[in-house]
Amino acid sequence: MQNWVKRAVPAAVLLGGLLLSSTALAETELKLMLFGGPVDVAIWEKLSAEFEASHPGITVTVEVNDWDSYWEKLRVLIAGGTAPDVFAMDASNYPDWQARGALLQLQPMIDAEPELLADVYPVSLEAYQTPDGYYGLPRDFQTIALFYNKDMFDAAGVAYPTDQWSWDDLRAAARQLTRDSNGDGSIDQWGLFAELIDMEAFWSSVLWSHGADIVDAANGKTLIGSPEAMTAWNFIAGMVLDDKSIPTAEQLRQFGADGFQAGVTAMGLSGHWSVPDYAPAGFRWDVAPMPKGPAGRVTSVNSAGFTIASTTKHPAEAWELLKFAIGPEAQQQLAGIGFAIPIQKSIAEGPAYLEQQSAPIDHKLFVEALDYARVKPVFRGYEEWASAVGDALQMAWSGALPIADAIQQAVDDGDAVLANAR
Amino acid sequence: MTGSLRPLRGERVGVLLLLAPTLIGLAIGVFGSVLATFVLSFFDWDLLSPISFAGVSNYANLPQDRMFSSALVNTTLFSLLYVPLTLGIGFAVACLMNRHIRGISLLRALFFLPVVSSPAAVGLLWSWIFAQDQGLLNSAITALGGDPVSWLGPKVILYSVVSVNVWGAIGEAMIVFLAGLQAIPRELYEAAKVDGAKPWQRLVHVTLPSMVPSLFFQGVLSTIHAFQAFDYIYMLTRLSNGNSTFPTLVFSLYRTGFRFFRMGDAAAQAVVLTGIIAVFTLVYFRIQKKLGAEA
Repeated sequence: MQNWVKRAVPAAVLLGGLLLSSTALAETELKLMLFGGPVDVAIWEKLSAEFEASHPGITVTVEVNDWDSYWEKLRVLIAGGTAPDVFAMDASNYPDWQARGALLQLQPMIDAEPELLADVYPVSLEAYQTPDGYYGLPRDFQTIALFYNKDMFDAAGVAYPTDQWSWDDLRAAARQLTRDSNGDGSIDQWGLFAELIDMEAFWSSVLWSHGADIVDAANGKTLIGSPEAMTAWNFIAGMVLDDKSIPTAEQLRQFGADGFQAGVTAMGLSGHWSVPDYAPAGFRWDVAPMPKGPAGRVTSVNSAGFTIASTTKHPAEAWELLKFAIGPEAQQQLAGIGFAIPIQKSIAEGPAYLEQQSAPIDHKLFVEALDYARVKPVFRGYEEWASAVGDALQMAWSGALPIADAIQQAVDDGDAVLANAR
Repeated sequence: MTGSLRPLRGERVGVLLLLAPTLIGLAIGVFGSVLATFVLSFFDWDLLSPISFAGVSNYANLPQDRMFSSALVNTTLFSLLYVPLTLGIGFAVACLMNRHIRGISLLRALFFLPVVSSPAAVGLLWSWIFAQDQGLLNSAITALGGDPVSWLGPKVILYSVVSVNVWGAIGEAMIVFLAGLQAIPRELYEAAKVDGAKPWQRLVHVTLPSMVPSLFFQGVLSTIHAFQAFDYIYMLTRLSNGNSTFPTLVFSLYRTGFRFFRMGDAAAQAVVLTGIIAVFTLVYFRIQKKLGAEA
């Protein structure tokens, strides 16, 4: 019955369109769909107006949804045969969509323009490569760094983080900075804000820098239970459960999701996406590189990109729009809003990104992090795998399971998901 | 009694015509989706690739499903506490509110307020009350010299979540029970009084038997609410990966379908959920019929 409605509505629209087309010239209409907030609406409407001006005959409709509704809506639109022509993609989710045939193969178009990706950071392209070429291209990338609240460090008389810091230095400082400042018997300032369920901001880097690996999706193996990984997990569990210097999800809920932004943690691990949120904060803060582990310094790099629907009626025009969205002009303006790092070297190493008025910090640090960054794992079934692993980890952080048991469960559940997804 | 209410032949067309807008809406919006969900539960579909027949494998795999079994346990425990508490407290409140004193309307409105408040906003308030370190409840406990309780921690979360949901549902139960109480003829009480019945005996022998229909109606409603509970639980227990520290069936269903590309499995879960509610409803009706026959 819903199919009937789905067919009837486009038919009515088509009929209406035919009636109107006697007066209007045939225009190509493209739909661009993204995840983001009000800032993104403003900037993408401006950019699409510029695109329309330089590409007569094409009109672009921009639709921005918040992260959660975006993925639901995209699924339903594609299933209903009304996919947007160009839409935003997250590198982690990309294989799930690519493997199901939802995305247009871009390789022939890229081959026709060999200079197109010459100035793009190769590591940001890595996640989008498949055995038969690209089905999407990155538009920005994110590396993780250590944010710290100078006021809290000064008040506690603790030296600021340096580029020589190890994880043990971070742990010691975090312990010193965790305190009950009003003396009511409960902790009200923590050492570190770190996301404990998703891997990107914290635990992937800790595992990698202890010489562990995370997942071998091709062979269906979850690798976070290795001896090296267990050393890393025991380190994290020591901070969360013994030192109590990292607030749990339950503790954070009373301050909003981000403890560093709320001013209740002295340090925070996050990507450049947090910079615009932290900029207006009522305290002085700065950034330092990710601390080193026994196997060196490692951070995580992840990228958001654009893809074209395999069912688009206007592949050529959609390709023009995608090229524009990742091109220097759009990247210059996106660098200005300060959420992400441009994929074009000339922009990321130029004033638009490096000299952001609203946040006078060392933005270069996030780009230099590429030297020691590893790509966040991407594979088919990622979201379900990450949920299975995250659900098991949560059992450890809430105290329901000892860390070793929680990791065993994460490995078992993760492997079960991988076996189904292959 | 039903015979006199049956429409005449000529009126039937008119009745159908008047009912048509509702019936068509139900047919498309509700029965269509219900049927589609039932059919979908026998297929594998990820919304993007072509759909394929799966037989009963979606159902056969449910017991091994990581999320489904724990969600079923959580939902069952939740319902076992939630339904009796809502009925019991709702009934007690209704009895207390069933009198003519000054300001009774205001009191009734206060009890009903949670029902018409936004669960998202009220859920946030509750999360502040339950908060571990700066929460209202723990501040009171520590001020009295006690140890703070982890209200939303693994040990107590069931009771915290049930309390909030019961608090939110008392108003609704109260309204249903009040309507039932006020429909009991005063003569019955007067007759009982004349016969020398004490207040407690009047409650057991007059009030309760007359309230059987209301109690069962509210019992069915509360059971449905219990199995579909989501709003408050989401606000109090959500995690950054879309899961919850107290995942109920609705969480499992939503994540399976809309996050993990497994529409068939999600549909099977939905059918099982509907089945459970249907069984409970049938049992309630049977008991009610039996009680009604005895009375």
